[in-house]
Amino acid sequence: MTRLFDLYESEPERFFDEVIARNGSPKPHYEIMMRRFNLFSTADIRARREMANIFFRNQGITFTVYGVEAGIERIFPFDLIPRIIPAPEWDIIERGLTQRITALNEFLSDIYMEQKILRDKVIPADLVLGSKHFRREFVGIRPPLGVYIHITGSDIIRDIEGRYMVLEDNLRTPSGVSYMLQNRNAMKRAFPVLFDRYTVRPVENYPQILLRTLQEISPTPKADPKVVVLTPGVYNSAYFEHSFLAQQMGVQLTEGRDLVVNNNKVYTRTTRGLQRVDVIYRRVDDDFLDPLVFRPDSMLGVAGLVNAYRKGNVTLANAIGTGVADDKVIYSFVPDIIRYYLGEEPILDNVETWLASNPKHLKHILENLETLVVKAANESGGYGMLVGPESTLEEREQFAEKIVANPRNYIAQPTISLSRHPSFYNDTEIAPCHIDLRPYVLYGKSLSIVPGGLTRVALKRGSLVVNSSQGGGSKDTWVIDI
Amino acid sequence: MLSRVAESLFWMSRYFERAENTARFLDVNFNLLLDLNSITSVDHPNYWKPLIMVMSDPEHFTTLYQEYDAHSVTDYLVFNRQNSNSIVSSISMARENARSIIESISSEMWEQLNNLYHVLHSVTPQQVHNDPYSFYKEIKNASLLFQGITDNTFSHHEGWDFVQIGKYLERADNAARLVDVKYHMLMPGQQHHADLVRNSVDLIQWMAVLKSCSALEAFRKVYLSKIDPDNILRFLILDRGFPRSIAFSICAAQEALWKISGSSVHRYVNNVDRLIGKMEAGLTYTTVEDILLQGVHEYLEEIEHGLAKVGEQLHLLYFAYHTPKIEPTDISESLPFTGLAGGRANWSQSQQQQQQ
Repeated sequence: MTRLFDLYESEPERFFDEVIARNGSPKPHYEIMMRRFNLFSTADIRARREMANIFFRNQGITFTVYGVEAGIERIFPFDLIPRIIPAPEWDIIERGLTQRITALNEFLSDIYMEQKILRDKVIPADLVLGSKHFRREFVGIRPPLGVYIHITGSDIIRDIEGRYMVLEDNLRTPSGVSYMLQNRNAMKRAFPVLFDRYTVRPVENYPQILLRTLQEISPTPKADPKVVVLTPGVYNSAYFEHSFLAQQMGVQLTEGRDLVVNNNKVYTRTTRGLQRVDVIYRRVDDDFLDPLVFRPDSMLGVAGLVNAYRKGNVTLANAIGTGVADDKVIYSFVPDIIRYYLGEEPILDNVETWLASNPKHLKHILENLETLVVKAANESGGYGMLVGPESTLEEREQFAEKIVANPRNYIAQPTISLSRHPSFYNDTEIAPCHIDLRPYVLYGKSLSIVPGGLTRVALKRGSLVVNSSQGGGSKDTWVIDI
Repeated sequence: MLSRVAESLFWMSRYFERAENTARFLDVNFNLLLDLNSITSVDHPNYWKPLIMVMSDPEHFTTLYQEYDAHSVTDYLVFNRQNSNSIVSSISMARENARSIIESISSEMWEQLNNLYHVLHSVTPQQVHNDPYSFYKEIKNASLLFQGITDNTFSHHEGWDFVQIGKYLERADNAARLVDVKYHMLMPGQQHHADLVRNSVDLIQWMAVLKSCSALEAFRKVYLSKIDPDNILRFLILDRGFPRSIAFSICAAQEALWKISGSSVHRYVNNVDRLIGKMEAGLTYTTVEDILLQGVHEYLEEIEHGLAKVGEQLHLLYFAYHTPKIEPTDISESLPFTGLAGGRANWSQSQQQQQQ
């Protein structure tokens, strides 16, 4: 009988493979997993996949795809083979992210207070002050504990040598953490024995740490600060996650219409009158938070919320205006930001990045479009990007026009060969698929990272895009002690 | 509890109950026609039109279908999405409300409701036609299971009380409509009493009314086999112990409302408690002779109006976003009566935000 991994081709000269070493044998931390999967028959695999699928369907774990047809609900594809990160490697990621997020928070605090980094000309001032996400209304306002970015999720990839690098930072409202938690539940249900063979570090306490973090940033210290989650509503693509996190933390899930601001204080409207709110974990973008300040057509926000926030009567997580630091242009300066504030060398590297706003870089970008990945500086979720090697001449020409018309809005990076991991690309067969990793960082009185994160996988063969909106799936991610 | 969450719990429960009642009426009608098959035609409009009168709006029905026959009426009351009270529509609305508060209800409740929703979407009209008994039984059982799950997995605090209010207001309203329409059909004039009872078709019909409330067995235990209309009215309207009677439902709704607000006998703290208390007291001190004297239709219409007013006041007091405070309402300032009759209470869709 052919075993599952017998037909697996890792192509070590072209890609870094997570499971198979260059010499063709499995890496030590994957050996048990591989042996176990090789024991499974096709029927075993089907049965376990069915167990996982039933779990997801019953939990209503779906996301909504925009653009194609209005609001299609889909189950986020889940891959059965777990990604395993040995503790020493995790240690690098953990230290690297701690350093990076600390520095980025210093940066935000600086540009919204004294702007030293701009005066010292480490970053051209116009790139920061001209960013769409820089909110000058909040200059001089210090959030509790001086923390701006309470919940973040940076995307980490590995290059062909297997080095961990940061591809982008998500400092506004990163999503996906519910999949991290539910993938673990689904795996435990489908492969209980495999868990026995490894010492997998737990992720299950994420909701407790999240709640503690949110309570720590209450504007005034209280025994039991009232925290709510603010969602755009049931039609939002990440609605499941919003309700899941609220439920796991045991706090109320609110929509804009559930909140009211009176005398610069925020309240929930309840069947027993108004109740004061201290901290809002908001999953609504800055632009929609308050129709009086930002978009007047927003139905999702709360009139008066920004003033309440400015008066220090409520804390928003994350703070308003953090998007300026995860802008893809600012991204290219993060190594300098780390050196400037912490006086350390970055532990995690950036991907080489060219800025279209820099004339020399622009020339290089336009000449090398077919090998580069070009991204809009302010978009997320894989929208508005050009993958050079997969594009047609016509697409490149159209994109070139867009870049020239608005250079501040574009950056380019070399097409990186993301590392690959065996994954089921159909019911019963595996193939190497590209993956990345999004660990979640929580920042209140101190900074903590749950061991693991969301491993996203490009299940379309050959595709490099791992976003759920673009046909990606995810894997359970194990940090193991060896 | 957030007003929005309370409101969604109320409507989730109310729509589920509505779907169950629709299934009961249809089920019994099919059974009734099996009994009557030798006497009359199964497709006779006399046996189908009343269902539309109880459950929906005949005017709307006739814009969509030609005849009041088994096929059209079943299609309209089970599958038609243009009928906001069809079983499919009701379950969709119940699910939509549940989905928006999924973190507040127990996951077992969600799974049960979601499962029924998916089952309904896989059933074809042909399947219902071939085996109506199994189909309606599945709906009824799904509803009963949901209630059992709710009682046993969902904390009996304020949220549960709103679930009870939704369920019992809907049940009382359905019972009132059912008795009203059937009485109208079977009792053209009081003087024909004796003749009619002897009429076996009518007797079978009255038994069907009892059956659709699962009341036949309970009724017999009280009145033996004396199936006469007065006893039936007494049982379905006034019986305090039978869980699908109007009096029982209103009493249960009152209990839940009082639990939320802290009202008690002789002391109400808000307008909705006053209205439900008034209805409950009325039912307690009314006899079937009083009802016959007033006229059955007039009496039941009053009940339906009363229920609608309770629904309105409940909305203003607990759900409406501009009046979030609970304080004893000034009773002298009673609200103008906004008319109703005929229409059924519905969750206002405009309250939903379309968001992207």
